[in-house]
Amino acid sequence: MSTGVSALHRKQKNEALVEVCSVRVGTTLFGIPIQHILEIVGSARPQPVPLAPGFVGGLVHYRGDVLTTVSLRYLLHLPPLDGAQDILVLESAGGCFGLLVDSVGEVLTVSAVDYEPNPSILDERRRALLVGTYKLKDSLLVMLDPERLDPARLDPARPSAAQAA
Amino acid sequence: MDDLTREFLIESQEGLDRMERCLTELEERPQDTGLLAEIFRSVHTIKGTTGFLGFKRLEKLAHAGENLLGLLRDGKMTASAAVITVLLHLLDGLRALLKTIEAEGGEGDGDDAALIARLEELQAPSQHAKARNAGAVHQARQDTAVKAAELVAAPGATADSAAPPEQVAAEPTRAAAAPSTAVKIPAPEPAEAAADAATLTPAEAARARAQGTATESTLRVDVALLNRMMNLVGELVLTRNQVLQATAADPNMTLLSRRLDMVTADLRESVMKARMQPVSNVFSKMPRMVRDLTHVLGRRVRLQMEGQETELDKSLLEAIKDPLTHAVRNALDHGIEPPAKREAAGKDPEGILILRAVQEGSHVVIEVSDDGAGMAVEKIRSKAIERGLLSTERAAQLGERDLLQLVFVPGFSTAAEVTNVSGRGVGMDVVRTNVEKIGGKVEIDSRLGKGTTLRMRIPLTLAIIPALIVRSISQSFALPQGALSELVHIPPERAATAIEWMEGAPLYRLRGRLLPLVFLDRLLMPGRECKLFTDRDNFIAVLDADGRRFGLVVDSLADPEEIVVKPLSTVLKDIGMFSGATVLGNADLALILDPGSIAIKTGVTMSNEEESAQAVEEESESEAARMRYLLVEVAGRQAAVPLADVLRIEQLPFSRIEYIGCRPVLNFEGQLLPVEDSGGILAATEGNPEAQIVVVVCRDGNRHVGIAVSHVLDVASGGNLFEAGTGARTEGVTLLKDRVTGVVDLGGVPPLPAIEGAPEGWHETAEALG
Repeated sequence: MSTGVSALHRKQKNEALVEVCSVRVGTTLFGIPIQHILEIVGSARPQPVPLAPGFVGGLVHYRGDVLTTVSLRYLLHLPPLDGAQDILVLESAGGCFGLLVDSVGEVLTVSAVDYEPNPSILDERRRALLVGTYKLKDSLLVMLDPERLDPARLDPARPSAAQAA
Repeated sequence: MDDLTREFLIESQEGLDRMERCLTELEERPQDTGLLAEIFRSVHTIKGTTGFLGFKRLEKLAHAGENLLGLLRDGKMTASAAVITVLLHLLDGLRALLKTIEAEGGEGDGDDAALIARLEELQAPSQHAKARNAGAVHQARQDTAVKAAELVAAPGATADSAAPPEQVAAEPTRAAAAPSTAVKIPAPEPAEAAADAATLTPAEAARARAQGTATESTLRVDVALLNRMMNLVGELVLTRNQVLQATAADPNMTLLSRRLDMVTADLRESVMKARMQPVSNVFSKMPRMVRDLTHVLGRRVRLQMEGQETELDKSLLEAIKDPLTHAVRNALDHGIEPPAKREAAGKDPEGILILRAVQEGSHVVIEVSDDGAGMAVEKIRSKAIERGLLSTERAAQLGERDLLQLVFVPGFSTAAEVTNVSGRGVGMDVVRTNVEKIGGKVEIDSRLGKGTTLRMRIPLTLAIIPALIVRSISQSFALPQGALSELVHIPPERAATAIEWMEGAPLYRLRGRLLPLVFLDRLLMPGRECKLFTDRDNFIAVLDADGRRFGLVVDSLADPEEIVVKPLSTVLKDIGMFSGATVLGNADLALILDPGSIAIKTGVTMSNEEESAQAVEEESESEAARMRYLLVEVAGRQAAVPLADVLRIEQLPFSRIEYIGCRPVLNFEGQLLPVEDSGGILAATEGNPEAQIVVVVCRDGNRHVGIAVSHVLDVASGGNLFEAGTGARTEGVTLLKDRVTGVVDLGGVPPLPAIEGAPEGWHETAEALG
């Protein structure tokens, strides 16, 4: 895990400019490097899965496959949102999954110079999910790492999740 | 590894597979030059390419083999059992080397000198080698045969060199097929051997030729690509459904959407077909295995294989490889007795092992049967009690067939000793686990002293399964039809009293027996109350998952649907309740329920199975004589159609029926189907083009015929009836559900008149008439 993060970090340091897709959840602006995004599915209503772990946002149909989605709201301890949400289809080492967000914004080009790692006062839970942040002109763009959001890693019943958490 | 080497490895593997098949066939027909040429070609190709790629060790070994094969091909030697054994070793040697190259990129530094020496020794034209050769073929060989063999081995011999070549060729064939050949595998009785060889050879040769040309018109496709295509087709089917719904009201679009509908269906079928492979791909590995095992175990076995052309989805074929191997091992080790023992029991010292594949509807049944010792039910009973699997009382109650199924329990082995082939009690467990993993079922049937039959029912494709869509907690769920035995409807007025409670456990009295109930809504949303609706209909799906019988209470039932199974992510698989997900025709997602896991989760055990035991007993009585029939009603009478011949059941408007002369026909996807109307159903419906009629489409030999029926009633097993006095089996009637029922004579349906008359001009005729 640590190698993955530092690799990501290094990559961002080396390339001066990074393209990041911005998404909004609650009041925070999050960012995901666009190379991890396969597709954006607008206003979807995932089918809930009974008995599934809480972070599972449900199932969506995506190009002939059935995708498991992860609710970012649940992971951030935000109350669930009624109505349709946007889904980012992400690719991680374990395969594809969907990330449920309130809305998808524009693609921003940010400079590696503006990057800073997680602050030390961030709580355990968020530190496990977030990578760092880019300082925008008037706000922060909080970076997410698809590897850390992979449902297989989030599952508390699986041993690999222990390391992730 | 570079592309060239990779391609070489794939090609060589295929060549060696071919070689293996040919070698085992060669044992039956050592004179078949076609087979020898094929084997020679495989080895030659490897040798040629290796020299080019620089694999010296492989080249040397292949070269030694090629020399020997060259002599065989040119008729300078006969392919005796000893020669074939060495050739099989050569095959193993080549395979091992290829494997090393694949794994390490190099040949490693082993030594093949011993093998090469043996290959060379056989080629030595010395008297010594010849004698060894002939001796090894078989001691029991007749003198003439030996002479013939020698003659072939040394064509320069003066004495009999004038003998006509046909005679020379024929003699050793017969000799090798004689029943005393211990290593021989699939060969019929000696009397038929010559005739068989004669009839088989051209057919086999034709097949080989067909395969040869097939390679030119086919190409290798990555299975992942096929999977992707299958997914996309699934997607297309869905889009089509939505287009059809959206355009239903628009008359301008009807034609277009219907065309889209047809093309999509065709495409789906083609992609599925592309994934199908003949069972022979797996069966062909068996002769070699049987040959080797019979040597190790000291058995004499004749292997018969039937239905090799039956096709199965590639992934399923892959999945049955292991279970089949285990089943064959078991049959050889525990089933078929050593020759001496067989003779003592008054049996043919040579045992028979039959592998049979046959398609039955949406399943393929694969049987492994032997005529060996069978299993002692009493031994299983006592073993089960000893191992604590059953209480003494329970064991006493269980029927023979149920006891037999215990051999599938992990670690259960009745073998007195553990051999290195089998007997550790792992085999049967593996068979069941693997077969059930792919949605199949295993059954075992055994008669002490007569033999054992293992039956595996495998679904045709893994990707598409028939399922019933049920609803609960306002969601749709798919319930695989395979586990569904019946549906019980409880109207609102009976809801209050239908369920009986035993200390908090809900039970339903089904035909006098208590069926444990599982409420789906409560299972999925813990904390809900278990009760039936008194204001609307309730439904219980009676499920049978590996002998665990229970009733699943659902809110409502929707239509049955053929669903495309999509895998779930591991997080959701871990819930242990769903086996997958699917997209329904209305674009909704539905989770696929896994009845087996639900049974385990809710604690339903195998204990409540007296009922199924009883049913099974009923079924097992005169099992061999029983056949499955589709029970239909034709104008008030019941009639039976053999289920194996039924292709599909069509419900269609009467307007689809057309007439050639006075013969009703159905234009089915461009093909004309004669429709039999013995019950006068069509005649009665005439003049009402809107009326729906039911046509059972059946197979009769190569042609298809339709039978017009009033209703389809059921599927049932029929028993034979015997004429009083003579005891002769009656034809054309069967006993179905205790009623004597007539069997529809498919052969009696007259062919289309136009086809009989003028095949060339029949298109015009049909047009003119229709």
